[in-house]
Amino acid sequence: MSKYRILNTRAPRVDAVDKVTGKALYTDDLKRPTMLTGAILHSPVAHARILNIDTSRAERLPGVKAVVTHREAGTTPYGVSPARYDETIFCHDKVRYVGDEIVAVAAVDLDTALEAVSLIKVDFEELPTILDGRAAMDDGQPQLHETYKNNVCAEVHWHFGDIEDGRKDSYLMRTDHLTSKMQDAAFMEPQSVLAEMDSHGNLTMWSSTQAPHYVQRTLAMALGLPLHKVRVIKPAVGGGFGPKASCSTAELATCLLALKTGQPVKLTFDREQVFLHSRARHQFFHTMTTGVKKDGRLTFLEHRCILDGGAYASFGIATIYYSGSLLGGPYRLKNMKYDGYRVVTNKPACGAQRGHGAVIARALFEVQLDRIAEELGMDPIELRLKNVMEAGETTCNELFVSSFGMREALEAVRDSAAWKRKRSSGGKTRRDGKGIGAACGFFVSGAGYPIYRSRTYHCTVITKVDEVGGGVTVSSGAADIGQGSDTVLAMITAEELGLSLDDVRVVSGDSSLSVDLGAYSSRTTLMTGHACREAARDVKRQILEAVAGRLERPPETLDLRDGQLVSSAGEIDFSELRKEYLQEHKGFTDLPEGPHLTFGEASRIAFLERGSIVGTGKYRPPPLGGSFKGATVGTSPAFGCSAQIAEVSVDLETGEITVENITGAHDCGFAINRTQVEGQMQGSMMMGMGEALMEQIIYDNKGRIVNANLAEYKIPTALDMPHLDAIIVESNEPHGPYGAKEVGEGAIMPVIPAILNALYDATGIRIDELPVTPERLIATMQANRGKRS
Amino acid sequence: MILPRFDVLVPDTVDEACTMLANHAAEGVRLLAGGTDLLVDLRRPIIPQHVPRCDGCSSRSEGNVRSTIEYTPSDSDPLMASEGSLRAALEDPRYASPAYLVSLHKLDQLKGIERLQDGGLRIGALTTISEIERSREVRDGWTALAEGADNLGSPLVRNRGTLGGNIANARPAADMAVSTIALNGRLTLHGPSGARTISAKDFPRGPGISAIEPDEILTDVYYPPRLPHSGSAYYKLANRKALEISTVGVAVWLALEEPDGPVKDVQVTLGAVGPTPILAESVKETLVGNVPDEQILQKAARAAAGDARPIDDHRGSAWYRVQMVELLTLRLLKTVLMRARGNR
Amino acid sequence: MKKIISLTVNGVTSELAVEPRRTLLELLREDLGLTGTKKGCGIGDCGSCTVLLNGVATFSCLTLAIQADGCSVETVEGLAKDGKLNHLQQAFVDQGAIQCGFCTPGMLMTATELLRSNPHPSEQDIRRAISGNLCRCTGYQKIVEAIQAASEETP
Repeated sequence: MSKYRILNTRAPRVDAVDKVTGKALYTDDLKRPTMLTGAILHSPVAHARILNIDTSRAERLPGVKAVVTHREAGTTPYGVSPARYDETIFCHDKVRYVGDEIVAVAAVDLDTALEAVSLIKVDFEELPTILDGRAAMDDGQPQLHETYKNNVCAEVHWHFGDIEDGRKDSYLMRTDHLTSKMQDAAFMEPQSVLAEMDSHGNLTMWSSTQAPHYVQRTLAMALGLPLHKVRVIKPAVGGGFGPKASCSTAELATCLLALKTGQPVKLTFDREQVFLHSRARHQFFHTMTTGVKKDGRLTFLEHRCILDGGAYASFGIATIYYSGSLLGGPYRLKNMKYDGYRVVTNKPACGAQRGHGAVIARALFEVQLDRIAEELGMDPIELRLKNVMEAGETTCNELFVSSFGMREALEAVRDSAAWKRKRSSGGKTRRDGKGIGAACGFFVSGAGYPIYRSRTYHCTVITKVDEVGGGVTVSSGAADIGQGSDTVLAMITAEELGLSLDDVRVVSGDSSLSVDLGAYSSRTTLMTGHACREAARDVKRQILEAVAGRLERPPETLDLRDGQLVSSAGEIDFSELRKEYLQEHKGFTDLPEGPHLTFGEASRIAFLERGSIVGTGKYRPPPLGGSFKGATVGTSPAFGCSAQIAEVSVDLETGEITVENITGAHDCGFAINRTQVEGQMQGSMMMGMGEALMEQIIYDNKGRIVNANLAEYKIPTALDMPHLDAIIVESNEPHGPYGAKEVGEGAIMPVIPAILNALYDATGIRIDELPVTPERLIATMQANRGKRS
Repeated sequence: MILPRFDVLVPDTVDEACTMLANHAAEGVRLLAGGTDLLVDLRRPIIPQHVPRCDGCSSRSEGNVRSTIEYTPSDSDPLMASEGSLRAALEDPRYASPAYLVSLHKLDQLKGIERLQDGGLRIGALTTISEIERSREVRDGWTALAEGADNLGSPLVRNRGTLGGNIANARPAADMAVSTIALNGRLTLHGPSGARTISAKDFPRGPGISAIEPDEILTDVYYPPRLPHSGSAYYKLANRKALEISTVGVAVWLALEEPDGPVKDVQVTLGAVGPTPILAESVKETLVGNVPDEQILQKAARAAAGDARPIDDHRGSAWYRVQMVELLTLRLLKTVLMRARGNR
Repeated sequence: MKKIISLTVNGVTSELAVEPRRTLLELLREDLGLTGTKKGCGIGDCGSCTVLLNGVATFSCLTLAIQADGCSVETVEGLAKDGKLNHLQQAFVDQGAIQCGFCTPGMLMTATELLRSNPHPSEQDIRRAISGNLCRCTGYQKIVEAIQAASEETP
């Protein structure tokens, strides 16, 4: 018997009906009177000095209302992290990648806007390009930014413990590598922006964004507007996964056009522009050396990586930290050395994408563990179980895990049918084309610190009771981008106030409603959930106090449950209160008559006693992490963790790979909504599988994307995806509301290595480059055969 | 991407359509069937060199074990075909930005699958790929065509895409073209001065270039009657299980003199390994007149690989494709032999 | 030069003047204000724009409005009757088959065509039918389960 009425159930999403009827409004569905359409001129070359921008013909085109360049936009630097503001709204001196934005136009319709763009003439002096991330740091390469010497945008050098001690303690050591490609988040809804200035100088921008608050700040800063005159609203969003978590040129340019023309302006990306903008998965080159004792316990990890992040920093300074910091767990590791370099190259900029910098690093480490297990003659899951951390432990880089269901998750997948089959065959790799592999991972439940240095609360929630009684409205800046945060807030509020979901309204994603850092780093359930619960309890306290006052009872003896006011101290005589209510509602037909005061009556009475009942909640994590440089990145009030197994079958002659099943167990602390947790796990499995087997951005030698469309950039279809089993583990996180912590990103961590480990089981082939296409598999198999013979 | 401005003409008869093609040739006129290729090709991308469907583009890549970070194409524009004629066509505004589209959607007479008196099949050019996929008749008697339809694009593409469109576009990977050639299909082209027929294998001339005249329309495809002790099959090799253009496509049709007898005739067509679908003539030389044992089949498969002329592109390297041609040809020959011998 | 076409959308027939190059998707979203059908890519790669054209699941982004002249078009807005969700829509809601919702209208229309022609599809039939509709949020699992649940309710 659950102690909760609504929490931990499979309540339907609060926006589900709108989404199945086509009523949900995404940014491109919105219209404003006298709206203009925007378009952008993108650089067709990867690296060049801008000699001249001639917009005269565009300006003269009938129907064009504004043409803006750096002259109108200014050159205030901006970016994601204040430590790396390296972008300007438009290029002014140089273009640094094919797609870099130079000019924006507003016109009466899209056709005119695009024609105007085609009439703009830019003279370039082309410069040599650097496209290979591994070579970007070499002396003599073209430099993209004056401030990044040798194209190094950020570097990290950490040494925790002493790896030399680790080496001495090691029975076995091995070194392995993994290379990936730049990838795309491939959300279904391209970015779209609608901006409007009102007659009092207030700018409102609707945008397909994950982070209204950060975007609001960047808009104000880069456009030189007072913060309080800038409002960012997130309508329904068709997926984010990271690239939409920061302000883009499209947003800045559209706002600028709206300011210049005095009319609303809408700009929606074509799918091609989504690829040009990117801000998605970096390219990673990892090398790891890991040691173990004879019994399998880890002794040290030496990790070096280069991240190719394209032309600008974006989230890159956080990415390079995450790549290293999130290997501190989920296993006990005393000695860890990390040297990471985030470089710039003349390609679209990369940013944060689901799992951020930790995904490919985790993939290599988990593959390496399997290779170690094989050399030791140990079962790979047993090797992991030998090393997992428990709740209450701290990693060598000072990440404290307050709850940790890693063991339980591993045991859940180990005890699943598929793994048992493998074990019964002696646990050796099969090499007959059928294989199974396992892996683990963990991730933050909200970044411990905001992106800009500040004591700001990470989120606030304001919950207001209807003055007429009966319902509440929860206002929050939180961004539901499909993960279901609105539903979480509604469920928490309904649970606390004893209401049904129908009586809770959630209004969210608007920077003017409250502060919320947005949907990134898997923070919303834990952080905004806390603030929401606090606001609901605040409202409850006020209602109960008001009613208790009238009833002359102690408020502690009253409660709100199932839409009613109940008492724990015997019957209460509320006849006077009901009489007043009925008197106020003469002529109404649906009147309360049961043996308990209804919530409707109680909340109305509270208004009559006190005026509008408003509750507020807020959340800010305590100071977390160590005091070394970069210690903040990777800190979190809690950590989710995941274990998965994948089964594959391989055609050993063509290399075609079929994933037959993925079974995953994820510790989310406590599932506020079980269906939504499973959905996030399954979506993570799909994205990880795509990244493992088929996703890559392909560039030509001029820095142009060859596959800037969803036919040639391949994400799994329904025929590619197997059955996905999602097992929920609940370790009851003490720092999470009701014990809840993240699921949105942690569940992607084990997918790639589980598949790689399964492929090894199936073929005996170790592959150290992603994606593993059929050709790569065959080529690797044949190269290995060649080496052996 | 936005479509350029054009006018759309909607003829009621084939003759009317041909007249329209002839009348507007100077300003640029193209045929619109299902639209799943044309309406993509006509769009102007944001970056001028971005081409949404990179068919027949030439490039070099390292292939083999290590891929390049960026593939390194030849010095010429990597997104243009190696054949000069397609480049010229794409640069010709009458082709890339025609003033007129002639939409064939009213020509119901060009739809349908008809069994003929001689036992052959006539399929109207506007028959959709879905209709072919669903046809029991096609699947039983001309299996390679049904299997080509099974794998083309996705259900949404198949609902709009037409047999005629897929063949007339003359792309080297076109699933229906590859299987039609293997099945000895014959195309009817209708022009202002009447109709003519051409064998499917003689139709493609280069990537995007065919034997069709500017004022002609492909109206139907004739598939010869099924021979006794014959069978066919098609396999599409790609990275994922839907929405793909082949890395390699192989169609095999084979007829035996008797169930245990020698090969009477065979056609193996290869897709995506040359500037056009390739009819592997060497296979015929190897197999016809011989009883197909394992040794001969392997020799035939090697011969097919020898006929392939693939390039490296972002879908796969020539090295991999040649191997796959040999492998898939061998597998399909065995499958088709089983079908020919009556064991399905 | 605009052309006059007539089409029936969700049972309502209208006459519209359209530019020859206008796509059915643009007509639905901009001329008729039916924004339920989405544009994910505009070139037939994602399926977000799927509508039923004379009952056949079709990319509205690759169909010219002129080609829909005289046809019947069904969009997501036409599925619910008298404000009540049909059993397919209800199954999507109940099974949690919706996250960001952008692929949902296209999925519903494709699933509608499937269930009309194959009222009791196997899991493989379902996956094949929706293989042209991309989704990035759900991994397709709950979408498949929703379509299965809806098919079980079909007599």
